[in-house]
Amino acid sequence: MNAHNNLIDSIFEILRNIILRGGIGPVIPAIIFLFFFFAMPLVVLCAFGFVSIDRGVVDWTSISLDHLTSTIKDSLFWHIWWRSFWVGTVSTIFCLCLGYPVAYIYTLAGRGWQILILVATISPLLTSALVRTYAWMVILGGRRGVVNSILLDLDLIDRPIRFLYSDFSVILGMTQIHLPFMILPLITVLSARDLSLEQASLNLGASRLITFFKIIVPISLPGVIAGFALVFAISYTNFIVPQLLGGGNYTTLAVQVYEFIVVILDWNKGAILAFLLLTSCFSFVLGINYLGNWAMKWKEVTR
Amino acid sequence: MSFNDKLGKFLLIALAGFSLLMLIVPSAIIVAISFTEKAYIGFPPSGFSLKWYSEILNKQQLIDSAVTSLWIAFVTTVLSILIGIPAAFSLVRGRFLGRSVVTAFVVAPQMLPGMVIGIALLFFGAYFGIYQSNTMVIIAMTVFCLPFAIRVAMARLSIMDSTLDEASASLGSSRLGTFFRITIPQMLPGIVAGGAFVFIEAFDNITVALFTASPRNRPLSVELYNLVQFDSSPIVAAISSLEILFAFLMMLVLARSIGLDKLRV
Repeated sequence: MNAHNNLIDSIFEILRNIILRGGIGPVIPAIIFLFFFFAMPLVVLCAFGFVSIDRGVVDWTSISLDHLTSTIKDSLFWHIWWRSFWVGTVSTIFCLCLGYPVAYIYTLAGRGWQILILVATISPLLTSALVRTYAWMVILGGRRGVVNSILLDLDLIDRPIRFLYSDFSVILGMTQIHLPFMILPLITVLSARDLSLEQASLNLGASRLITFFKIIVPISLPGVIAGFALVFAISYTNFIVPQLLGGGNYTTLAVQVYEFIVVILDWNKGAILAFLLLTSCFSFVLGINYLGNWAMKWKEVTR
Repeated sequence: MSFNDKLGKFLLIALAGFSLLMLIVPSAIIVAISFTEKAYIGFPPSGFSLKWYSEILNKQQLIDSAVTSLWIAFVTTVLSILIGIPAAFSLVRGRFLGRSVVTAFVVAPQMLPGMVIGIALLFFGAYFGIYQSNTMVIIAMTVFCLPFAIRVAMARLSIMDSTLDEASASLGSSRLGTFFRITIPQMLPGIVAGGAFVFIEAFDNITVALFTASPRNRPLSVELYNLVQFDSSPIVAAISSLEILFAFLMMLVLARSIGLDKLRV
């Protein structure tokens, strides 16, 4: 029995050494898994934008930039891209304006309010984006939509207002759905801040408003940048909200990618659009981070 | 306080209140509507009945897709934990060349939209003659969710005390005992929280599933995606309410395991 135990012990000793002391060993399954099912598929996705696919068969000899050049020469593409960019930017700015006060109040509130804020922020995050988009379809809908029925019942309007299928509904839905992604990074930065700085500013006679803009906002800049980049990236690439709240004629770049791949089944075009969506998204995120770092340096100089 | 300060404070509280209402109210409206007696969606909902919930049980297709989704979520969670937890150990406690590069690589899928991961796997499979299936959804979901599991476990590990293992061993506990009594229990909140997050994400994610699910055996999210567009009956509200309830249950799990304020996206 003892020998048996010793054997098990030594096996576990080896396992434990691999896991606890280990070098690269335990992460290798993750690397292999992601190499085959993430890195290689991404390469294939990008490659599909630069070759011809005929009835599902890839012709590797046909490598060219034709799909890319014909896409970016198309003025419709730029029109659609502009809408993606615009909708993403506006809803991200709204998220910042609505999220910042929540995160700031979180740091001043008592435990009860803090829990309420966390529940209000995290429960939507765990609820499917589809369900939350559907909620806006119900709220903004036509004659039987929530807002319209209330306004009609109160005799404030004679006929239902058309909220759905517009920039308004898309931006409103996106802002609400992505708000938690803005609030959480802001809470992280604002909770970690040094309260004595504000106290010093107030003691030295600065008003609360000036203290807020001169002390608190600059300190929270890393969170603002992180939240802004994250929310912009998910807004820019969201195709569910534009599709459901924007209606059939409302196309953004992400919606086009979906349509070309699933509906039209033109994978070449879909792949090149996905490639452009991804690279432009990364460029913007890098740009936001660059601007943010620049702003932080500038702040340091003026201080 | 000056007038400006008061105005600032008022604006701050008003905006924060508005955001909180905006976060909660839409879901609350859906839950309220799901109890209506009428055959269409209207507000305020009239009467109280559970008939739309029992209607769900009458639709075999919905039950089947819910079972499919639960299966996908379960396997994805197990895979993410089995691959993710050891990886986190290595990335936090291991010392090897290129650790930061490896860390960046394994959390990279989180930086991409789910749609791109779904499409990439769809194309990759098609190139080798493999078609959309639940297996493909599971693989795509695992790619998408693995970073969550790894990051939650890494956060947990970095606050864990590795000297406890050594203390346990030096006090005469067997190695097996140390591993199961000290290391795993300390790690458990991270595993549970990561698992809960992965499970709910894999259950209701639509952007990945839409491209990788087979047209026949559809997960609930894809089924719901069609219903939302073409079915105006309150049954959609009833399904949505169940998903909201499910989200709350998962939030309780997160709150009990690592605490809501420790959650990072």
